[in-house]
Formats: sequence, structure tokens, C-alpha cells
Amino acid sequence: MPSAPLPDDTGTARKAGGHPPSGLIRHLPSLVPVVLLVLALTLPGQMFQSDQRPSSIGLGPAFWPDAMLWGLAVFSALWIGRDIWALGRAGRRPTLSLPREDGPYDYRKALVGLVMIVAYGWLLPTLGFAVSTAVFIAIWCLFGGLRNLAVVVPVTLIGTLALLWLFMGLALMPLPRGVGMFDTFSIWLLRATGIY
Amino acid sequence: MAALELLGGGFLAAFQLWSFLTIVTGLLIGVVAGALPGISFVNAMAMALPFTYVMEPTQSMLFLGGIYVGGVFGGSISAILINVPGTPASLPATWDGYPMTKRGEAKRALTIAVTASATGGLVSALVLAFLSAPFATFALKFSQPEFFAATLLGLVSVIAIAKDQPIVTMVSLLMGIVVGTVGIDPLYGQARFSFGVPEMESGIRFVVVMIGLFAIGEVVDLLATNRDLRPKKSGGKAIGASFRDILNVKGAIARGTGIGCLIGMIPGAGATPGAVIAYGIEKQVSSRGDAFGTGVEEALAAPEAAKNATTGAAMIPLLTLGIPGSAATAIMLAAMMLHGVSPGPLLFIMDPTMVYTIFAAMIIANVLMIGAGIGVAQMFAFLMRTPPAILAAFIIVLSVVGAYGVRNNIFDVYVCLAFGVVGWAMKRIGFPSAPLVLGVILGPLAERYFLTSMANAHQDWTVFFTRPISATIMGLAMIFVLWSLAPGIMRMARNLRR
Repeated sequence: MPSAPLPDDTGTARKAGGHPPSGLIRHLPSLVPVVLLVLALTLPGQMFQSDQRPSSIGLGPAFWPDAMLWGLAVFSALWIGRDIWALGRAGRRPTLSLPREDGPYDYRKALVGLVMIVAYGWLLPTLGFAVSTAVFIAIWCLFGGLRNLAVVVPVTLIGTLALLWLFMGLALMPLPRGVGMFDTFSIWLLRATGIY
Repeated sequence: MAALELLGGGFLAAFQLWSFLTIVTGLLIGVVAGALPGISFVNAMAMALPFTYVMEPTQSMLFLGGIYVGGVFGGSISAILINVPGTPASLPATWDGYPMTKRGEAKRALTIAVTASATGGLVSALVLAFLSAPFATFALKFSQPEFFAATLLGLVSVIAIAKDQPIVTMVSLLMGIVVGTVGIDPLYGQARFSFGVPEMESGIRFVVVMIGLFAIGEVVDLLATNRDLRPKKSGGKAIGASFRDILNVKGAIARGTGIGCLIGMIPGAGATPGAVIAYGIEKQVSSRGDAFGTGVEEALAAPEAAKNATTGAAMIPLLTLGIPGSAATAIMLAAMMLHGVSPGPLLFIMDPTMVYTIFAAMIIANVLMIGAGIGVAQMFAFLMRTPPAILAAFIIVLSVVGAYGVRNNIFDVYVCLAFGVVGWAMKRIGFPSAPLVLGVILGPLAERYFLTSMANAHQDWTVFFTRPISATIMGLAMIFVLWSLAPGIMRMARNLRR
């Protein structure tokens, strides 16, 4: 009977074959339990604001987080111990490691993608939903290898307008309009499309 | 008889035009999303969440229920046709479904798969309809210690399923519980881990964490691997399945359905372990066990039936106790809470119409799935031509809108993006994210039940072991932990002896 994988519906199944990333980056996963152990030991001191005194009635508000952080520290320490034991024996792997890929995995592209996603969210209040979404969809499509402007431009414009109509027009969600000239533009666009 | 009458009322409500269209739309979205590699049905449900804001509570549940039922099966379409499982639960379908496609029996494999899935789902929906109410009546006897014990069982069963890496799973779960402690505590009203940021005082919503962890990592991987979603082989669909083919696998379907129903009811299990365990058991039981992996019909039917049989069963703890058993049911919980509906035993008394309409919708969705599954399989080649870059861009935008819509607050978008980055890193190194999400969901519940139980019992911790129901559930939780840890401890002991 095959062993049951983790109950993770996100598709974390590990891939086999191919070549793993080389250098120091391969050992980064081994640092995860160390970072978690340090966090578990330091976070209890950061639980309350300095001007706050935790209630002393009953178990108090710190009991549960303290207990969970204590548990996190214990299991992180076990994880470190297991990894040290594994590294000390030839042919054994640490608990977590970067996967071997079926095909090439472009870490540079992945990191640029993450930066683009974070930038999109970060600029949303400044540029407004309409502008930031249109810019994001267009740049993402181009970066994702879709170079045909006859596809990218309609997808960007129709997609953004459809989302605007759906969420601001139909669902009445107060999505950000942006600041300054972007706010003015958003209001004009919303009026032009009949949403306002 | 009352249950039958209520179910009849549920069918009437579900067959209202808008309700029926909502189920069909959800089902089609689910099958399509499940069939597209890189978009699991959980991602599709997370992305669909903002659309439910404009719906009535019951309609939103019909929509998400349709996606859930359709999505669990949808993953098998790409698994059978192009050997790429659309969702992790469809992995067993590649082992025997794809070899059938290579033999020119794609249509036969798809028909067996969809029939098995629909049968499993239908039986599971009937189990849900007829067992939920008695279970909810029983759950009315629950007080705070029993709810704490049930929540604890939900938490530890996550570790039990992850037999391979219990320490890592436990760390992930505890991380989630710690994230769940951010904000005002439930009993004393004091802010924890706010770090001077006012928005942190209102806590971190699990929906936001879930959208970040599930959607963003998938999209970035789609970009980094430059995955081509187009089918490379579309031929060989000539041979269809006969009625005799279905009859030949009835035993496998029945076993898969039973296993799926049982596993689905365990909080934290879900479709993937259900399908894999059903495959393993079928291999032991079948006379053709040695040929498994070469395109054996039973090997395809059993896991297919099991994975859809988890859908209705997984909703029993959600609707009767308010405890989501999987990421998918957690999204359904989020939708209910966004509409001000609190699942639990009282829901069966306060709003039985809603509950039985959901049951009826699950039954209808499973019946309709046969048509939807075969239809989507025919359209599959066309759907797969959508450039991944376009799909990915819209997934991100919908995820951001979904996070923003939880409280109409940009801070939630920042939290979602932060968890998106963390989720991508976790996915890269094989650190399971599902226990973290369940920790964020169940952690605050466990804390509230624990503290109130302790306060009511004058800080006497034996309260959890002196009440019969609570003690039984605590015992079950302990058995789960021992069951999960025993193989690892024995393996470690063997290694140390060497």
C-alpha cells in the first residue's frame, strides 16, 4: 500500500528526478527549524505592548500563546536534533530540502513574479484598483511569455473593466480608487462605465 | 420522516431556477478548475469567495458546494488524459487511468472515473443528509469541554494523517495556532502580538491566510516552470465504457465509497488521503492487485469513488460542530461566517431549510456531475489552450480582491501577500501548509473552549477527562497521536539499533 501523502490540497507533492539547485541555497531549508526555535523563544517577551499589563485573573491571556510557543520550541528542537542526526549519517537527507525538478525551475523568474505580486498589492491604495490591475495584468502577461499585443491589450482592458463592473458595480465593494490624479481618473472611469 | 420532509423541502428550494443555476455554475467552474493543472479546487473556491459576497447565504453555499463536488472530480480529467493530476487527490488516476488512455481507452477510463466519482459523491451526500441531523442532536449535549475535545481531535488528526513527517506537521500546526493568537484574546480582551500596529489588534483572518498560502505559490510555480498546459495527446477516445464495465467495478466503487465516507468524516483528512488509501486497500483486495499501475479498471474506480465520497462526509463536522475538516470546507465555513451564519448543532434548529437545501444541492451536484464531467472532458483540449500567463494574472487579481473583501481593508491584502510569499517558500521546500491553515482556523476555537472550560471548572484540568463524551473524544485524540507517532518511533529505534 502506498504511504499516504500529507493532507495538503495545495499540491505540495514533491517532484522526483532532475537536478536540485546547487550551493548554499540548498541548505537554506535546514535553517527553518533554527529560525522557528529562536522565534518561539523570543516571541513571549513581545506578546504585549510595553504599557500593557496582562490580566492576572485565571490562566491569563498569555497562557495559551505561551503554551503553543513552548510546543513550537520543543518540536523545532526535535526537528533540529533529527536533522543533525541525519547529517551525521551518510546517505541520509535532512527533513526538508529543495526539490529535484522534472524540468527547469527558474528561481529568478519566481522571485521577480513574487516581487510583482507584492508590488501590485503595495501600489493598490496609491494607483487605485483599475490602474494597478490593468498594469499588473499587462506586465504579468508580457513577463509570462505572452508577447502578442493583440491578445495582451484586449485581455488587460476587457478583464479590468469586467472585474471593475463585477466587484465595484455589482458587489458594491469599495475597492481603492487611488490618490491624487489616480483618484480623479478612477472616478472618471467609474462614471464612464456607468458604475457610479 | 421529518428528515425526508425537510430533504423534500430542500430539493424544492434547490430546484428554484436561480439556486439550480448556481449549483450548475459552481459545478462547471469546479470541474474546469480541477481539470486545469496548477489550479486546484481549493484555489478555485478561494477565488470564488469574493463572488459569494453578493449572494444570499444559502446560495453562496450552493455555489461553493458545486465547485467542491465538481473540483474534486475535475482533477481526474487531466490525470487520465495527459498524465498530469489537476489536484493532488487525482494522483491515483494517473497510475491506472493514463495507461488506459495510452491503450486508446480514454473515453472508457473517463466514463468509469466519472461514474465512480458520482456514485461515491452521491452516497456521501445521502450519508450527510441522513446522519447529520442525529449527529447534530447528539452534539447539542456538548458543552465547552466537549467542544474543546472535538477541536483538539481535529487538530491532532492532521498529524495522524501525515505519518511521514509528524514533527514538521506539528511545527506547521503550531505555527498556525500561534498566528491565530494575534489580536484581542477571547476572554480577557487584551491585544497580543500587535507590535504597535492597530490593524493587528483585530487579528489575522484565516481566509486571508488561506488565500495567500494556496493561490500565490501555485501561480508563481506556474510562471517559474513555464508549464505548458496544452494536452500533448488527445487521440484514442474511441472505445467507450459499457454498462458491463461499470458492473465489473461495482465492488471497487462500493469499497472506495465506504473508505471515502469514513476518511472524509475525520477532520483534517480530505480527498487526497482518501483516494490514496482506497487505492492501497483495493490493491490488497483485488485479484488483479499485481497488475495495478498498468490500467486496471478497479484501480481507477476505487480511488475515484473514495475522493468524491469525502466531499459530503467532510461537511458533517462542519455543519454539526462548526469544525472544518479540510481546506475546502474551511472556505465554506468562511463563506458562512461572512454571511453571519454560525455552523453548529443550533443551525439545524435555527435554519433547517438552509441545511437541507445544502444537502439537496450536494445530491443534485453529484448527479449532474456525470454530464458535466463528460462535457468538460470533451472541451478540455480547448480550455487548456488558455495561456497560463493569463490564467495566473487573473488568479492573483481575484486573490487580492478576495483578501480585500474580507473586511474591505488593505491591511488584509498585505497579510495575504506576506502569507503568499511564505506559502511559496513552504511549497518549495515541501513544508506542508495545510496544517498551518487548520491551526489558524481551529487554534482560536480551541483557545476559547479551553479557557472557558477551565474558568467554569475553577481551573481544574480534569474536567476534560471526567465528562464521558469529552473523555471519549480525548481518548480518540490520544489514539490518533499514538497511531501517528508509533511508526516513526519504531523506525527511529530500528535505525538507532543499527
